Amino acid sequence: MQVTLKIFRYNPETDKKPHYETYKVEAEPTDRVLDLLEKVKGEQDGTLTFRRSCAHGVCGSDAMRINGMNRLACKVLVKDLGTDHITIEPLLGLPTVKDLVVDMEPFFEHYRSVKPFFINNDPPPQKERLQSPEERARFDDTTKCILCAACTTSCPSFWLDGQYVGPAAIVNAHRFIFDSRDQGAEERLKILADQFGVFRCHTIFNCTLACPREIQITKAIGEVRKAIATGRLD
Amino acid sequence: MKPRKVPTPGWNFEYLMWLFTRISGAAMLLLALIGFVGALIMGARYHMDLGTLMRWTFFPNPNHVLNSDIPDIAPWANAYWQIMQLLLVFFGATHGFNGLRLVLEEYIHSWGWQLALRLVLMILWLITLGAGFFLVLTS
Repeated sequence: MQVTLKIFRYNPETDKKPHYETYKVEAEPTDRVLDLLEKVKGEQDGTLTFRRSCAHGVCGSDAMRINGMNRLACKVLVKDLGTDHITIEPLLGLPTVKDLVVDMEPFFEHYRSVKPFFINNDPPPQKERLQSPEERARFDDTTKCILCAACTTSCPSFWLDGQYVGPAAIVNAHRFIFDSRDQGAEERLKILADQFGVFRCHTIFNCTLACPREIQITKAIGEVRKAIATGRLD
Repeated sequence: MKPRKVPTPGWNFEYLMWLFTRISGAAMLLLALIGFVGALIMGARYHMDLGTLMRWTFFPNPNHVLNSDIPDIAPWANAYWQIMQLLLVFFGATHGFNGLRLVLEEYIHSWGWQLALRLVLMILWLITLGAGFFLVLTS
């Protein structure tokens, strides 16, 4: 089948403003959108710029807007889109560096702000710090985050005010707040209770729809809110 | 699994307003339901049109049913319905102005402007409450 790709193009060195270019490529219904981008770059226009790495939905490098939805280009098959016209744009809410590449620094700044690392000031035990399967299951969902930014850049609250920490940072805070071995919950809850924390979330659910790992993000944000209100982490 | 608990970050403005928005939203629905049931007891099925019924439901003021066919309004002009109106004015105005604050603060990022707008909104909120309370208590 022939697929028409309409791709957002912007080269800050030569373009005054962004524009769209259209490419026609031969594709199988089982091709991934990333395959089509590679085809365009390899066969038609080598200047097309996009991020990719593992190409198997694990590294989170190729999150982009595909027909209006934030998706990983390596996880979306042509047949799943139900059309032979595909529009591909960079993620919203982050500055575009070139074509489909956005500056991820503001996103990672928010990620770092919630202390996304294990905090435990007790002396390390001889072997591992033990945890029951139930305690591990408590935060299992939020361990799946691959930091692709599909959730944060689908959030209208983040589009409007980049100071909002965004869903990805909250998901990664949740992963440690509810970890029975961690001792940094109080600190993280304090950070997330401020003006640009969890109360900026208006429960729109865009993040949950956008997540390529199917993390229940809005639920995780709700659980962090509950922890802020009650102090209970079970 | 043994329960884990940490000290809460304590009450802060954002948390309080978030909580208030949920509570006031639910409270307004409940108050409207009480107003609606009150109107049915008053005889809305035979003596009121839909507009009058809605006006009483969302703001149970006897003036709102003056032009309907309710035979005797006097028993409905009492302190109980005044309290219902005061609660509706308070919850409605506070819920609405806080919503407006959130919308404005999402668009306006300078702290100085945010503070100025908060002050303006607070003054408008107080004027709205004052006017609403005056209307309820004098009509």
